[in-house]
Amino acid sequence: MVSQLIRDLLRIKKFDLSVAIFSSILIIGLVGPIVYEVDPVKMIGPPEQPPSEKYPLGTDSYGRDLLAQLLHGIRNSIYIGLTAAAISLAIGVTIGALSGYRGGVADSSLMLITDVVYALPSIMLMMLIAAYLKERNPIFVALVIGVTSWPWVARAVRSQMLSLKSRDFIYMSRMAGLSDIKIIFEDLIPNMASYIFMAFVLLMSGAMIAEAGLSMIGLGVTRGVSLGIILYWAQLLESVRRGIWWWFIPPGACLVALATSLLLLSTALDEYFSPRLRGG
Amino acid sequence: MSPIMRFILRRVGFLFLTFIVFMLIIFALPRAIPGNPLSTLLSQLFQQAQANPELIKAVYKRLMDEFGVGKPVHIQFIDFISRTLRGDLGTSIAFYPRKVGEIVAAYLPWSLGLLIPATLTSWIIGNSLGALAGYKRKSAVDNLMLPVFLTLSQTPYYWLAMILLYVFAVNLGVFPIGGAYSSGRIPSLTFEFIADVLSHYILPFLSIVLSAMGGWAIGMRVMVIYELGADYINYADSLGLPDRKLLRYVFKNSMLPQITGLALSFGTILGGSLITELVFNYPGTGYLLFRAISTLDYPLIQGVFILLISTLLLANLIVDFVYAYIDPRIRTGYLGE
Repeated sequence: MVSQLIRDLLRIKKFDLSVAIFSSILIIGLVGPIVYEVDPVKMIGPPEQPPSEKYPLGTDSYGRDLLAQLLHGIRNSIYIGLTAAAISLAIGVTIGALSGYRGGVADSSLMLITDVVYALPSIMLMMLIAAYLKERNPIFVALVIGVTSWPWVARAVRSQMLSLKSRDFIYMSRMAGLSDIKIIFEDLIPNMASYIFMAFVLLMSGAMIAEAGLSMIGLGVTRGVSLGIILYWAQLLESVRRGIWWWFIPPGACLVALATSLLLLSTALDEYFSPRLRGG
Repeated sequence: MSPIMRFILRRVGFLFLTFIVFMLIIFALPRAIPGNPLSTLLSQLFQQAQANPELIKAVYKRLMDEFGVGKPVHIQFIDFISRTLRGDLGTSIAFYPRKVGEIVAAYLPWSLGLLIPATLTSWIIGNSLGALAGYKRKSAVDNLMLPVFLTLSQTPYYWLAMILLYVFAVNLGVFPIGGAYSSGRIPSLTFEFIADVLSHYILPFLSIVLSAMGGWAIGMRVMVIYELGADYINYADSLGLPDRKLLRYVFKNSMLPQITGLALSFGTILGGSLITELVFNYPGTGYLLFRAISTLDYPLIQGVFILLISTLLLANLIVDFVYAYIDPRIRTGYLGE
């Protein structure tokens, strides 16, 4: 069944394209720093050199190698994106599933909380929390993004839950006397697997963009490099007005490519799983 | 009570609750985070007291007072809320002794002047193009537009801003390289000054419109495709209704979710436009926030967020009014929320 699914998916052009883009950047981020052994935060040459054979992506105002920064940046940004998405997903699915399955008071109070958090823009909450953290390592940044980005997932999972829970197989489980938790995690959530995976993909692209935004306003990771941090340095040292295009274009382009490929992937899955969008 | 009134009252109650929760978050954060940033700040100030004893002591005393150090927590919170509702947002540290409210008030109009027109423009253009793509799906137009929308929707405003600035201001010299007006000019209502402001306005405006447009277009496209496949359209089509009429139905029904979406995405767009201001050195709240963050001016950071969130909740309320007016289900009381 799984191999059939994969064979079907591979026939969708959008799916192939998005997976190809994402996985090539991922591999560059994973393997790059191992192959290209230059310290991204050490001065290794003259400042502000345009791309050349010696410095493939040039150097910044401190004479640091920009290719090395990009490789490490991709790795860290993807890492933060994955972690933040996992946190959001865990919170969103738990709240949404409980809310949809239980109904009643539990449902209305959980949904009230969700709506309140939803009404507060996540990027602002992130900035607010991050402003009070002095040391921000990638895990902290991922946590800040994760705990503020879940409300839409909770809402979406809840509505899926509502339509699933009145199906016959759930009645069977209930008649067999299985506990609510068991029914939720063993019957209901597996049936939403495709949906949850799409949510994860979207959360991840959102988290990577959020990381860049936090970095730009001065609230990114305090040590190490991410795509957002490269852009932050480029902005701080006026790279745009001084015409140092090799500093701000590559990290932004990688970020857009990563985020777009993930969005494309979720669109492809959406079309595959909902026939109305697929049809001619 | 009419259904519209009930809807609006419920929304007002909800937005007020949201505001209180937000205030609670702002209040709790400096007190709850380990290492207590507030006490760090206070002790730092205290250590600097040798350098300029009078001023630092005054700031220190003011901070102790405004954060209510030493009082029970619930009293502190009630004080905080009541002061905020009276419009007192505290005193800035970096700009001491200026009040936070007064500082933010000088920057907020620039941000709103950029944000509101840009949001509405991107909403209108994005939805129109999205509807077109959805209607002509799988045609050359759709195939060309969809990848562009997808990419634009994932492009951070500020990165697009950097590129536009680099191409049009730095390389081609068509537009000024930043600020809201040329330095040396005095704000006035003359034709020259307005023209100057506009020439500084175009690039930041375009960066926000272009990248915000993508998301609207994608949403509208999917909505139109769904509506076109709906039973009522098939039925109306089989009755022989003209295409124009069908399209009007589709457009109207697809519009409603997009209006709700407008309220929800104000915040995201605001977040992006704050950072875009940085790229252009635009004197809005984003620029102010950046300065406040880099000097750890917590009262100012809080004040910026309180004013921005209040503005957003107000914008939400306006969208609710529009929604209640447009959606017939609310007028007739068919829909509870």
